[in-house]
Order: sequence, then C-alpha cells, then structure tokens
Amino acid sequence: MTTFDLFVIIIAAALIHASFQLSVSVLTLLSSHTLGAKRSQARLLRLTSSFASGVGVMTALLLAATAFTVSVFARHGIDPVLWVAACGLLFGLGFAVWVFYFRRDNGTTLWIPRGMARYLEDRTKATSLSAEAFGLGLGSVLGEVLFVVGPTLVAALALVQLPSEFQLAAVALYTVLSMLSLLIVHVLVSGGHKISKIQRWREDNKNFLQFAAGSAMIALGFYIYVDHVLTHAVLAAAGGV
Amino acid sequence: MSSQLIDVVKRGGARPTESFQAEKLVQSILAACNSVQAPDGEAATAARSVHAAVLVWCDDKSEITSSDIRRIAAHHLKKIHPEAAYIYKHHRLVL
Repeated sequence: MTTFDLFVIIIAAALIHASFQLSVSVLTLLSSHTLGAKRSQARLLRLTSSFASGVGVMTALLLAATAFTVSVFARHGIDPVLWVAACGLLFGLGFAVWVFYFRRDNGTTLWIPRGMARYLEDRTKATSLSAEAFGLGLGSVLGEVLFVVGPTLVAALALVQLPSEFQLAAVALYTVLSMLSLLIVHVLVSGGHKISKIQRWREDNKNFLQFAAGSAMIALGFYIYVDHVLTHAVLAAAGGV
Repeated sequence: MSSQLIDVVKRGGARPTESFQAEKLVQSILAACNSVQAPDGEAATAARSVHAAVLVWCDDKSEITSSDIRRIAAHHLKKIHPEAAYIYKHHRLVL
C-alpha cells in the first residue's frame, strides 16, 4: 500500500467524520444562547473559537489514541483481518446511519443517548466562559463517538502504516478536514449570518446529509475491502505476493 | 383568572408543577428575537404582544403545560417575527 493510498483513506475518513452533525448542532445552539443573552460579537467569537478548539483537540486525541492502540496490537503490520473488521464496522455504521442518524421529528435531533443530549443542551445553555466552551467541544465529540468510531478506526489503521515523518501531518490533516462543516458554520456565525437560516438549512437538508454520510461510509468500506483485502487475497492465491 | 393562579405542568410531567410566570415567557421571547439579531425595539414589541396573546389564551384555564405555552407563543410570534418564532419553536429540537 503506497503513502498516497493511505492518505486517500485518511482524507476520505476525515470527510465522512465531517458529515456528522453533533458538534455543528452544539455550535448552533451555543451561538443562539450567546446571542439570545445579548453577549457581544467578540464574546461569541471567543466562545465558538474555544468550542471549535475543543472539538479539534478531542478529535486529534481520539485518532492518536486509536492509532496507538492499533499499533500495540499490530506490532508486525496490520493483519488483513483488522481491515476486514474495519470494513464490517463501516458497512454496519453506514446502514445504521441511513436508518437511525436523525430522529424523525422536526428539527435536527440525533439518535444519541437522550441523557447525553440533555446534558449537552444544559451545558450549552450554561456556558459563558471560553474554558467551558472548550470543555463542551471535548464533550460533543465524545457524545457522537458511537458514529465516528468507524472513520476514526479506518484512519488509525492507515495512520500506523504511514512513514513516521508523515504521521503527525496525517493527524493534523484528519483533524482539520473532520472539522470542515464545523468551521464553515463557525465562519458563517462569526460573519453575522442568522442562526435561524443556518438551522433551517440543516433541517431542510438533513435527509440528504444522513444519506450522504451513510453512503460514504459504505463506499469507503467497499473500496478498502476490494483494494486492501480482496486484491491481496487474489494475488496471494495466484502466487503473485 | 389571574396568571399567577395558573399551574404550568413542566415538560413530560417529570418536573414539579409551577405557577405561570409571565416574566419567563417575556424573557424567552426576547432571547429568541435577540438570537436572530432583531433590533431591541422590535424584540420588546414582539415580547409584549406575544405575552398579551398568551394571557388571553390561558385566561379561562386553571392548568396548562409548558408545551402549550410554547406552541401558542410560537404561533403568535410567527405572525410578528417568523425567524424568531422558528428559533423559539425549535430550540429544543437541535440536539
């Protein structure tokens, strides 16, 4: 597997991660509460920037921790069975996202544990300091870990096979790309766009977002299965490897 | 009936009932208007108007739910400020 192939997997996994919506929802809610309490635009920018930083730090930590765990269990290279397991996870999560990701009510409520959603909602309302917003960012990534575990595992499997000089850059690339949707909303909110318009767009397009996230996971699982599992097996059977 | 004598059943009945507090309604309408960057005067007018409409609606009732208040308030706010009404109605449906 070439470095280019591994980077393609990491980029694809990061973009799938970016399609998950919990952090965007929390950012929207945080902005709404901050503006509703008549706090200044500068305070809004500080809070949303701290929140985005928290999301970034937790995403990087999650990827690094997963990669470390993988490297501990696969000291002598990645066994194809690990790729098969990762593909299975992507297929399973892809179908689950198609069926379950957004609840069927109005709004953009997600199929995350209701206790966690209520906790995040209450914390968002109570957040007035940058440090609290940073912690909220950390928590919002953990709240969605059930869904992001798929792309994170695949990216970690690719990450540990990269030459060591590229690994840090790959973690940074994954983190930035996985925050793409959050950063877009952050820029829109900071630029003075109305929260209602952003939220309405998200609600109107939630079915598409759900379909795209699920399909992308299945497509990535299929690509990895064909390119890294099936091709190896066929070449090995033909005596080419 | 005085608004102070109306019991409000909280979300899902899980939390204890409390008496109707007009100030909470006004503050929530103001917050919704502020979050869509409505001018202060417009927000205050909307809050007063919605407050009056909700008082008229609950005048003959001794017990209402917090969802009722939200629904009626959103209905009236929508006529005055649709963007604020959207935020007011949906803020519990974001996560």
